[in-house]
Amino acid sequence: MAFPFALEGTYNEIETKYIFGFTDGSDIGAEGEKAIELETNGAFRKRHGRYSAIEQEVEFEAVPTQFFAYELSAHGMAHAISGVDGLDDLHRVTPSGLSARFRYLLIGRGPGSPIGLTVTAEPEWSRVDGTSGIFTRSFGSNFKILADTELIPNRLFAAANLSYAPEIDKAVGEPVWTRSSTFGTTGALAWRFTPKVTVGAEVEYFRAYESFGFKNFQGHAMYVGPTLYIQITNKMMFAAAYSTQVAGHAAGDDQPLDLANFSRHRARLRFEYEF
Amino acid sequence: MHMNDLMARALAGALIGLAAVPGGKEAWAQQRTTIQLTLKNHRFEPAEPHAPAGQPLIILLRNLDQTPAEFESKTLRVEKVVVGGGQVNINIRPLAAGRYRFFDDFHEETQGFLVVE
Repeated sequence: MAFPFALEGTYNEIETKYIFGFTDGSDIGAEGEKAIELETNGAFRKRHGRYSAIEQEVEFEAVPTQFFAYELSAHGMAHAISGVDGLDDLHRVTPSGLSARFRYLLIGRGPGSPIGLTVTAEPEWSRVDGTSGIFTRSFGSNFKILADTELIPNRLFAAANLSYAPEIDKAVGEPVWTRSSTFGTTGALAWRFTPKVTVGAEVEYFRAYESFGFKNFQGHAMYVGPTLYIQITNKMMFAAAYSTQVAGHAAGDDQPLDLANFSRHRARLRFEYEF
Repeated sequence: MHMNDLMARALAGALIGLAAVPGGKEAWAQQRTTIQLTLKNHRFEPAEPHAPAGQPLIILLRNLDQTPAEFESKTLRVEKVVVGGGQVNINIRPLAAGRYRFFDDFHEETQGFLVVE
């Protein structure tokens, strides 16, 4: 088979940052790295009708020290909504916001530690509501704790994330700011079945609240899905992940799954070029 | 305006919190051990330099080839381009004992191991 699917080769160290799909690995990159990344996140299907929301990010990444990395991102969103319960019909593509991501490595995985541990903060300003697509003003941040390890050196990896994402937003024309937050925990396994290709699976669980804490529970959802990571060249990588909601429940709704606060399907594509 | 102030304060707090996490700034100020490394005919010399554990290091890499190279290591968490005939200094944090692979990212078969003990 053609490169990068060749089975022969050496299984050297791999950077775990993007090998777990929606779950983040603890690696932050090497001091001196700079990269441009395209990240596409899609959410598909709500209760009834047709629903898709796709967010495209263009990111600049840099690793100025052996402990710290940052990303600066510009976002655009495309919504196609028709006949969905609780949402107005909408078809629109528009620039949607800006964000940054700061990664601080607490424990580096390697000869000194079997476990890697990183904390991240991702502040974001958005002018478009990610779910409904209506114009809004929102400020939020996703805080995460990332841990990973090598179950079989350089071949089988495991990761877990804890996340907390508070957000405050106000729709255009509305007088009141609304607080909300999402708590999440995810776990993933990734198997490197060729030196350049890694496949895996992950489980994600989220709880949504209409407050910054644990008040006003809105719903919860569990997703499962496969992941793929391809190291195209030493300087280029591609990653993909898909997950589908398999369990969940929205507050005040007797139907299975939470399709009010979460979508039925999620997908993510990432392409990175390092220079 | 109020919301912008709130977000700016939250961001500043997060950054200060991250910077305050113990990670080795004090260690950088300690005495560094210097490791001399050369690259010739796409081979590192020495191929397995030794270094003491728990001390910051500085690798002085001289590229005696006429082609550029990129010193890189996933476990050392550094990468640096050195032009043909050039020299670079690479700062390394204090390390735990172990073997740390490094390689030339432009010629990946060119590799060596830093042995920390």
